[in-house]
Amino acid sequence: MSGDVLLLLALAGVAILFSLGVLVSKDNFYSSLFMSVTLIFVAAVYALFNLQPVFVLIVFIFVGAIGIVTVALAATYRSEPVRQVSRFWVVPVAITAFIIGFSIYSYTIFTPQPVSPSEIEFELMNFLPITEYLLIVLFLISLVVLLLLSVLKIGIGGRS
Amino acid sequence: MATIDIMSVSVIYAASFAILLVGYLAAMSSKDVIRLLISLEMMFGAVFMALIPLFSVAHLANAAFGIALITIFASSGELLILISAIVILDRQKRDIHTRAITIGGDRV
Repeated sequence: MSGDVLLLLALAGVAILFSLGVLVSKDNFYSSLFMSVTLIFVAAVYALFNLQPVFVLIVFIFVGAIGIVTVALAATYRSEPVRQVSRFWVVPVAITAFIIGFSIYSYTIFTPQPVSPSEIEFELMNFLPITEYLLIVLFLISLVVLLLLSVLKIGIGGRS
Repeated sequence: MATIDIMSVSVIYAASFAILLVGYLAAMSSKDVIRLLISLEMMFGAVFMALIPLFSVAHLANAAFGIALITIFASSGELLILISAIVILDRQKRDIHTRAITIGGDRV
């Protein structure tokens, strides 16, 4: 097992541990913090594969904007929720965990040779010069501006 | 720079499914809309992680980046709407628990 796979395993494992912290924590504030750290580690996996543009987008937009607003909301409405999980959900969770565990186990046992031994490198150098994608970026920025204007209108309407 | 192989893809998909499952469990056990928002962000995080193997196909790398870009912006917009809905819900009902939502549609 190479060092890259070990690093990927470590990043994915830490992300799963922090996501479990979201589920276990009773306080929404700490849950939102755990959620932000989980998303940062998900973005770190992108950085591991040299996909820095996606890393920047996730960290700055998804975590930096939406995640921080969520943390602020959770800190504002801070309370311990009453949670009730039905015991019937233990069955599908156990089945899913068994399938995932068996797939990993069967891969190491029944597949001695890798399916695709060739190494595939990521390429994002030609992304920005393509005009169609620049058009998509412009459309998405306009969409966000329109959404913000709609939210502002809803807020002003609710106040009046 | 790390390269991707079948082992890396397996690890990425397993982690993505695990985070998605945690998001589902958090959504099902949530009693207030803040926790619902957190669980939705977890689910979107799992989707972002599941997109990584798409970048391994050389001639699909640019399309994969476009898909990731659209996913990030669309999910951010969706969560922005949910955040504004939470604020409006608190303003109207003085309560953020899901039990306060009794009817659906536009009148929430």
